[in-house]
Amino acid sequence: MYDYIIIGTGPSGGNIAHNLFKAGANILVLEAGKLMNKKTFPRTEADTSARLYWGGGIEFDTDAKMGFLRTRVVGGTSIVNQCLLDRFDDIAFNDWKAESGVNWFTNEQLAKHYDTVEHALALHTFTANEMNRNAQLFTQSCDKIGVKWGYLRKGQSDCAQERGNDCMACLGGCHRDSKQSSYAGYLRDDIAAGLNIQTETEVTQIVHNGDTVTLHALQQGKPVTFQAKNIVLAGGAFGTTKMLLQSGFKKQLPALGKNFSTHPQFMSFGLFNEEIHACKGYFQTVASKDPILRQKGYKLENVFAPPISAAMLFSRTGAYHQEIMRNYTRMTCIEVAVRDENAGEIKVDNKGKLTIDKPFTAQDRRRRDEGRELIANILTNEGAKKVYASPFSVGLHLMGGSVMGTNSAKSVVDPEFRVHGYKNMFVADSSIYPNAPGINPSLTIMALAQKLSDQLIVANHGI
Amino acid sequence: MASNYLSNSALKAINRIGDLMIPRNGEFPSFSEVGGIAYIDDLVSYAPPADIKDLNLLLTILAFMPNFVLRWLLNRMENAMESSGPLAPIFRMLDVGLRGLIFSCYYTEKIPASYTGKKPLDIIGFDLTRVED
Repeated sequence: MYDYIIIGTGPSGGNIAHNLFKAGANILVLEAGKLMNKKTFPRTEADTSARLYWGGGIEFDTDAKMGFLRTRVVGGTSIVNQCLLDRFDDIAFNDWKAESGVNWFTNEQLAKHYDTVEHALALHTFTANEMNRNAQLFTQSCDKIGVKWGYLRKGQSDCAQERGNDCMACLGGCHRDSKQSSYAGYLRDDIAAGLNIQTETEVTQIVHNGDTVTLHALQQGKPVTFQAKNIVLAGGAFGTTKMLLQSGFKKQLPALGKNFSTHPQFMSFGLFNEEIHACKGYFQTVASKDPILRQKGYKLENVFAPPISAAMLFSRTGAYHQEIMRNYTRMTCIEVAVRDENAGEIKVDNKGKLTIDKPFTAQDRRRRDEGRELIANILTNEGAKKVYASPFSVGLHLMGGSVMGTNSAKSVVDPEFRVHGYKNMFVADSSIYPNAPGINPSLTIMALAQKLSDQLIVANHGI
Repeated sequence: MASNYLSNSALKAINRIGDLMIPRNGEFPSFSEVGGIAYIDDLVSYAPPADIKDLNLLLTILAFMPNFVLRWLLNRMENAMESSGPLAPIFRMLDVGLRGLIFSCYYTEKIPASYTGKKPLDIIGFDLTRVED
């Protein structure tokens, strides 16, 4: 009988597993994906999509207008994202408080948990001499037209830029263990020290027995069962919500599956006469940091895409497609990330398959269109001959579905991270986000996980 | 060319659709010339079994369609983002699914030795440096 079973190893599960393991708890960690490391992460873009993501690369909403990228690997999303670590601002926390009724959603209340996480990871704030040409053009144009921008802060230890390393390669997992994923930052050393982790194990049903919880799972396709005094669900918005839905908790928790948001991202490419090589060096160092855009509900990110993804983002094929791809090295890219309304719903159909309703509301559309227009101005102002706005929307930040709140009719998880009515079932991942913060969610996921870890250790739950 | 997951007809359909999406044009070789489809199992083997079954069925049907039908289908797919109606989501999913497979087999480092021309990644100038210690 384990004290705790932690399901999922992303920014939340990795942090909690690390803290409980260090505290001496008898824990088991379950992960649906495989354990990979810097030697075994995929080395090609195609292999990355196939091997690291659910659905063989991408999942869709029911209308197939939005694609979601959801990872399946030890370390979860933190393996493939850019590890951009920002604290939330008062706007985000005030909106969370208003929606959830949870009064500790403040920067002051979470400061010590942010501090703990930031102290544990190697952080780097970019500087002017680390910008590539894509970033230089973005910031020059922002300065001219009066859009405020700032340098990003990334979790990284040694990216070997002085030796010519290109960080776009780490979108398939960092081959240097520089990126501060929950694997490199927490789990790698814990696994070496004996952390009990079982991979390729997908939990299919949660049975609550009062003082204990039984988990039914498929391990490489074979049924297995585990039992613990407590469980911590850390499968992210889709994973955690799916486990609760398919275990029948919707009857007691009417809000289960609701309030899904995802910061939909829309990329626009600018074609320049000069060679840009936007995929070289640090390929994401700056973003808009403009209070006006923050109030308007969107931000601009200076990004780029590897070839298959870039090809996918342009809807056309044939000669038109080839003309665009021929100019790949002369393209820059900016995306608008919309702070979307939490109008989505996560469901499970009668075959046990996830279905995602994600209406793109009038407000979302207005924010996207305004952002795109500003991007076009930024690009043409700096000399872009042509601007290509991709029609595709991608959701990378999967949030909500099991939201936190004081009212069990409108939320799933209480302010102490317990599933309403279940004293030994905890959730602290992005599924508890009451609404979209409009800020990269990773650091706050880890801060919330740190708060739960501290709570569990202090309460001595089975430790 | 053989696959443990897709039928010969399905592979034939991918090559035909691939050549319509990426024909030989200037320095770009056609999709089938490059031959990246030889490594398609590396991609398909990670997809859910039910999706592989559906893909096989769809591609086998498409393999028997004349080119003008495939061109019509590609046109519907390309315009699906702006389309409405009950079939629009199906065309959108088809669009992403088929283009995903074809671009993944084309803009790739995995190309058979039998292809001796310039690789598509080299043509577009994609060149990532990995410094590994």
